[in-house]
Amino acid sequence: MPKRVLIVDDALFMRNTLRDIFSSAGFTVAGEADDGVQAVNLFRELKPDLVTMDIVMPYKSGIDATREIVQLDPNAVVVMCSALGQESLVMEAIEAGATDFIVKPFRGEDVLAVVKKVLGE
Amino acid sequence: MPSASHKYLTLFVAEASEHLATLQSELVRLEQEPPAAPLWDSIFRRMHSVKGSAATLGFSRIVDIAHAAENLIARLKGKEGKIERAEVDLLFAATDALVKEIVKLDKKEEDEKTITLVERLAKAAQALPDPALTARPPPPPPVMPVADPSLPRLDVAVTLSKNCAAPGARALIVQRKLKAMGTLLEMEPTPAQLMQQKGGARVVALLATLTATDEVREALVALPEVDHVEVRMAPAARPVGGTSPLPPPIVSPQHPTPRGVTPPPVRGVTPPPVRGLTPPPVDADELRPEPTVRVRAEALDQLLDQAADVMHGIARLRDAAKRLPEGAAGVFEAEVDRLRRTARELHGRVMSARLTPFSSLTERLPRAVRDLAHRLDKTIELDVQGADVELDRTVIEALGDPLSHLVRNAADHGLEDPRTREKAGKPPRGKLTLSARRERDKVIVEVRDDGRGMDAQALRRKAVKSAAMTQEEADALSDDAAYELAFLPGVSTRDDATEVSGRGVGLDAVQRKVESLGGKVSIRSSPGQGTTFVLELPLSVSMANLLLVQVGGELFGVPLHRVLLTTEYDLSARGGEGFESRSLVVMGELVRAYGLAKLFGLPSLSPPGPRPFVVLEVDGLRFALSVDRLVGQEESVLKPLFPPLDRVRGLAGITVLGNGRPLLVLDPRGLAELCGIHEPGKPAPLAKGAA
Repeated sequence: MPKRVLIVDDALFMRNTLRDIFSSAGFTVAGEADDGVQAVNLFRELKPDLVTMDIVMPYKSGIDATREIVQLDPNAVVVMCSALGQESLVMEAIEAGATDFIVKPFRGEDVLAVVKKVLGE
Repeated sequence: MPSASHKYLTLFVAEASEHLATLQSELVRLEQEPPAAPLWDSIFRRMHSVKGSAATLGFSRIVDIAHAAENLIARLKGKEGKIERAEVDLLFAATDALVKEIVKLDKKEEDEKTITLVERLAKAAQALPDPALTARPPPPPPVMPVADPSLPRLDVAVTLSKNCAAPGARALIVQRKLKAMGTLLEMEPTPAQLMQQKGGARVVALLATLTATDEVREALVALPEVDHVEVRMAPAARPVGGTSPLPPPIVSPQHPTPRGVTPPPVRGVTPPPVRGLTPPPVDADELRPEPTVRVRAEALDQLLDQAADVMHGIARLRDAAKRLPEGAAGVFEAEVDRLRRTARELHGRVMSARLTPFSSLTERLPRAVRDLAHRLDKTIELDVQGADVELDRTVIEALGDPLSHLVRNAADHGLEDPRTREKAGKPPRGKLTLSARRERDKVIVEVRDDGRGMDAQALRRKAVKSAAMTQEEADALSDDAAYELAFLPGVSTRDDATEVSGRGVGLDAVQRKVESLGGKVSIRSSPGQGTTFVLELPLSVSMANLLLVQVGGELFGVPLHRVLLTTEYDLSARGGEGFESRSLVVMGELVRAYGLAKLFGLPSLSPPGPRPFVVLEVDGLRFALSVDRLVGQEESVLKPLFPPLDRVRGLAGITVLGNGRPLLVLDPRGLAELCGIHEPGKPAPLAKGAA
C-alpha cells in the first residue's frame, strides 16, 4: 500500500512542489495544510504515515504543531522542512519530537532519500 | 534547478507578489503604530516564505535579499525602543528590489545594486543584537551522565555527509538515537558546537549499552546524511568524564584486565578483604565490629541517581503499557509493578546508605558556642543529645546554616547574662541543648535554651507595627500562636541589632529552609523558663507524591501532602474570567482563589465555564488555585532546581516524568507568598501575572 503523506506549508508553491515530488515517487498525498492549527487537525483526522512540516507559519508554528502531533501519536513521523539559517529552530523542533529534517532548497531526490530512511524503507 | 519547479513559476510569482504587496502595507503600519509582535511575525513570515520558495527555484538573488532582510527583521523585532526611519527605509528598499527581481525573473542581469543592498541590510542587522543569542535562556548545565560500570562501553564514530546543510541538527538526531540505545557518556563535538557549520563533520561518542555493536552501527547507518559509522568496544575500565573510578575490588593476585573485555560486575556479597590473614574462626565474629567499607559520598549520590533513573525507566514502561492491547497489558503491568516495588526498595536502601549521623553537624558546635559565650560575656553549657541519630545527607547538608542560626539566636537572645539569671533565681550558667531523635519516618531536632523565654506581647506589638496584622488580629492570638510571629520577616523581639545575630531576622530563612526539605519548624516557649525550636524533618527528602495539573499548556506537579482537596467551580458566572482573587466555599469555609496561570504569567487555555481548583493548605492557611486540567498523580524523585530557575518563587524542584519530560514542582508556601496571603505585611511580590 502506498504511504500516505500530509504536507504542511503556508506557501502553495512549496506544497505543490512537494506534492509533485511525493506523487511521482508513488506516495499518496493524503492532505495539505497551510498553518499549524490545520496541520494538527488534519493529522488527527487522516493519521498519515508521514508529515512534512514547514516551521514558520501563521497561527501556530511548525514546532508547536509537531509537539502536539507527537503528543497525539508518539510514533508519528514528522520531517521538518526548513530554510537555510534556521538550524536552531530545527534543533528546537527535534527536541519537540520531530523525526528528521530537510533543508530548503532541496531537490526531489534529497527529500525522498530522507523520507525513505525515516520510514525504514 | 529541479525541472518540476518551473511548472509552478507563475504560482511562485503570484504568491510572492501578494506577500510583497501586503508586506509594503505592513511596513507602513510599522511607522504609524507602536509595532506589536504579531505584526513583526507577519512581516517576518512573508519575507521568509518568499525566501523559501525562491531557494527551491534556485533564484539566488531573491534568496540573498530576502535572507538579509529576514535577519534584519528578526533583530528589529527584538529591538527595544523606537524603530529608526532608516531601518524601515531599508526594508522598503528590500521589498522594492524583490518586486523588481520577481517581475524580471527570466532576464539575466548583473546587478550591483543587489549586492550593495544586501550589504546594507546585513550592516543594519549587525548593529542590532541577535535575538537568537539573547532571547533564549541559557541551556541547563550539562549533567554528567552515570552508567552502570558493568555495562560494556562502545566507542562510536559517525561521519556526517558533506552535503549536510545543518550538521548541528543532524548531530542532535544522532545523539537522540544513541540515547535511545544506552547511556551516552560523551559526545564530541556536541550538536550545539556543530551549529552554523558546514557538513562533513565527524562525531565521536562513548556509549554504555548492552546493545550489540552491529545493532548500534545499523541503527546509525539508517539515519539520513550519515556517511560512515564505526562502532568498537571501548577499552575497559576507562575513567569517565574526569571522575576517578571507584577503587577496584581487591583481588589477589591482580591481573590486568585484557583490552576490549569488560570486567565482571562486582558482586555484592564479596566478604570484606582480610589481607594476609586466614579467615578467623566463626565464633570470633561477635568480637569484630560490623564490617564496613568507606565509600565516597559522591559515589553514593551517583548510585542514588541511577536508582532514580531505574524508577523513571519503570515509570516510562508503565506509560508504554497503556498503549498495549488489553490482553497483553495486564501481564505486562503486573511484571512492571513487581519491578517497581524492587526498584523502590533499591532506592530506599541507597537512601539509607546515604544516612549521616547528626554528630557530623554538631561536632564543631562546642568550640563555636564557647567563642560565642566569650563574646557575649555569658557562660553557656552545651549539651548534645542523639548524636548518632542518622539523617539523609541532603538534610544534614541543608541543616547546617539553620542550626547554627538557631544556636546563635539562643545564645544571644534566649540566654540571659549571669547576673540577670542569678537575680531570677537561676544558675548563672545558661544551658543550650541540641537534640535529635527518630520518630517513625521523621527526625525531630530540637534547639532548647533555658533562658528568658519569648515575649508574646512584644511579638504582637512588632507584628502590628510592621503592618503584618491589625491590633485586633494580634490580640486574638494565643501566646503560643504569637510566638510563631517570630517567623515573619521583620519581626523580632529586640530593637537593638547585635553583632552576633542581628535583629533576629533570618528566622524566616530558617523556616523556609526547613520547609524546602519537606519539614516543619515550630516554637515552644514559656516566660522565664526558656524557648525550644522544634524541627520536624523527613528521613528522606527525595520522593514526592505529586498531583499533576495542566495550566497554559504546561504541566506542573503539586506536592500531594499540601493538597486538601480538589474541586470544580464556575467563577465566570460571577463576573468574568479575569479574576485576580475571588472566593469559593470549601467545606463550609470561604477560601481565596487565585489563577495559577496568572501567577506565572501563562495563558489560560481553558474555556470559560467550570474549571478545576486545587485547594492547598500551608500553615493552616487555605487557598485555592485554578488550573486548566487535573492530569493525574505521580510518585517521583525530586531534584533541586538549577539556576536561574532556583530563583523563581513558587517552584520547589524539578522531576522527570514517565515520558521523559521534565516537570516543575510547585512550592505551595512560595505560591502563598506570590498570592500575597502568606506575608500580609509585605507588598505583593513581583509576579508577572499578579499585577
